[in-house]
Amino acid sequence: MAHIEICNVKKKFKKTIAIDDISLDIKDNEFFVLFGPAGAGKTTTLNIIAGIAFPDQGYVKIDGKIVNLLEPAKRNVSMVFENYALYPHLTVYDNIASPMRSPTFKKDEAYIKQEIERVTAILGISKLLDRLPKQLSNGQKQRVALGRCLVRKPNVFLMDEPLAHLDAKLRHFMRAELKEMQSNFNTTTIYVTHDYMEALSLGDRIGILNNGKIEQIGVGDDIFYRPANEFIAKMMGEPEINILEIELVQEAAKFGLRIFNMDKVFELPRDVEAAFRRKVPNDVDMGIRANDIEISISKKSDEYIHGTVYSIEPIGNKSVLIIAVNDIQIRTIVPNDFSAELDSDIYMKINYKNAIYFDRNTKAFIFRHENEDLSEKVI
Amino acid sequence: MAELILDHLCKMYDSEKKKGDKAEIAVNDLNLKCKDGEFIGILGPSGCGKTTTLRMIAGLEEITSGGIFIGERKINNVEPKDRNVGLAFEDYALYPPLTVYDNIAFNMRARKINDVDIKREISRIAPLMKIEKLLQKRPAELSGGQKQRVNIARAIIRKPKLLLLDEPLSHLDGKMRQVLRTEIKRLHNEIKCTTIIVTHDQLEAMSLADRIAIMNNGKLQQFGTPLEIYESPQNEFVAGFIGEPPMNLNRVTVIKLGDSLQFAFEDSQVRIAVPAKYNDVLKNGMVVKMGIRPTDFIINNPNGKGGTEVKVAVFENLGEEKRISIRIGEEYLTIVTADEKRYHPGDMIKIEVKDDRAHIFDISTGERLSLKN
Repeated sequence: MAHIEICNVKKKFKKTIAIDDISLDIKDNEFFVLFGPAGAGKTTTLNIIAGIAFPDQGYVKIDGKIVNLLEPAKRNVSMVFENYALYPHLTVYDNIASPMRSPTFKKDEAYIKQEIERVTAILGISKLLDRLPKQLSNGQKQRVALGRCLVRKPNVFLMDEPLAHLDAKLRHFMRAELKEMQSNFNTTTIYVTHDYMEALSLGDRIGILNNGKIEQIGVGDDIFYRPANEFIAKMMGEPEINILEIELVQEAAKFGLRIFNMDKVFELPRDVEAAFRRKVPNDVDMGIRANDIEISISKKSDEYIHGTVYSIEPIGNKSVLIIAVNDIQIRTIVPNDFSAELDSDIYMKINYKNAIYFDRNTKAFIFRHENEDLSEKVI
Repeated sequence: MAELILDHLCKMYDSEKKKGDKAEIAVNDLNLKCKDGEFIGILGPSGCGKTTTLRMIAGLEEITSGGIFIGERKINNVEPKDRNVGLAFEDYALYPPLTVYDNIAFNMRARKINDVDIKREISRIAPLMKIEKLLQKRPAELSGGQKQRVNIARAIIRKPKLLLLDEPLSHLDGKMRQVLRTEIKRLHNEIKCTTIIVTHDQLEAMSLADRIAIMNNGKLQQFGTPLEIYESPQNEFVAGFIGEPPMNLNRVTVIKLGDSLQFAFEDSQVRIAVPAKYNDVLKNGMVVKMGIRPTDFIINNPNGKGGTEVKVAVFENLGEEKRISIRIGEEYLTIVTADEKRYHPGDMIKIEVKDDRAHIFDISTGERLSLKN
């Protein structure tokens, strides 16, 4: 258990700025995910907490104490590596016992036995103690590797993309395994990933890093429904969110929106309209996810926008239908039995209630309609 | 343009040619008929024989037995360069010192085509592959996606009868892969050339191909449209290979409970009602593999006739999609829902199978058990 603070940390490698003035406050027992693209500074941040890398500027505090000068072994952090690295010739018992038998942490065998019983009970692997790694399923291996970290009673768990090397199918199961165990850890955990599903699934809170800077910190719902900018919106979800230029027009003292240079002015949800009235933005982009666009092969009403079928890509129980309007491509979702000729006419209706509005110049979040039924269910 | 027929195609490697040793056959009696202009995906895990098949079609690999026909013509003994096949591999193999224009022109010059014709052809292809602005650049200045565009342009410039693509997208990052996937699909629609793509990525095969041939251990498992393969997998391998998250595949015993049949899981008290359509196929005491897609469950159906009560072990909110995992012994049963409701570990929910969408497979052969008509 530990409360971790990172205060104005900067780190340069030669002329490259890896971390540019980052501050984080990670609560005791929190599962905190650092999410971002390759080269964002995620691993460097993790290494600075572990004591493997040193900040050029700023502090790292564990439980209120500055640890910048504390060597890694004394910080009581435990790093879980990508490949779990179990000793193949040792049983589960001896694998988990290994850190307690090391010269630094040497403990007597009675204590070791007691610790292994405690930890394996938490992880549900008490019956596997005599097995060798090759006799374990992947999920069990993961639990043994975590068990080996837990016996040291670390203050902090640091995990650097532990699932990244797995194929998509296995990753799905291992993520569920990790999530099922995480409430039993009683340890502050910092988890680095570039996979948005891992971030949303595992993180009590998520910190989004890009170019060495924190772009947003929040719970999954904040990040998904109210992303701080277009960059974050685009990283969350598949297919990627559509970012479309819109024009705000004032009609009878009310703001509406125009899209694709059409004549029609679409009505905005009341709270969105009010938000635009409070502070009139210059140029606005609208983010709309594929699921929030309804498709029809006929123009059912004047709410429907005309386009042509650019491509249909089946992906299992649904298909991604890409629609071209002028030169803009819009990603939508249709049932997997949908079929149409390429370049044929198609109509779409945008559910403006679920749109996210951004400033086109700064790309920053402006507003999203407060979805009552959604906020009720937010835990 | 041409029809492509693979007729009892076999490939054994010399060093491994031992009688009766099936495991060492790279491609085992493969029969495929690709229609003129069709886009075919050959899909399978590494080592399944898909790339060997492609290389035999290209003429880069000797055929052990069987035949390959393009149209009426058997091409087993035709030199690769005379097969009129366009090839684009995973690594782009562009000539670094040459510009994009010269890279594309290279093979045409080797064939002594005059400069005027080359220029005309390149200006025809460049807009198709969206590389008009790259023609004077050198490979080092291009992104991975741009290099693959040039690579494909070079493959289609000679108007081949057959276009062969070997994992063309696997070096690219997620976003570029999506964009180029769409572009390849558009390109195929434009040039209507019979095309074969080899891939291990089921999403890639599903989204691009008109029909998919799934291979495993050198053998064809199923050949069908993406919808057919997804909705009616012919065996357990295909069922588990297609779809993400994967289909729930569990060993179950059929038990009779009152008037109805139930699937009983091993190491678990969970039971799932056997869809009525299987009443004539399944009998009390039979052991089968049950397959249910994670998206084919209904949770707490207000109009349901009961369903099965299960405990939520893991709840994951992935944005629009929510995943629920239920413990079945050492494994999970996965349920995917788009419903806004949030659940917690320990919650009890009632699940039932949507529209009887459960698949059953023979426990020993893995073959799909079909309904008696």
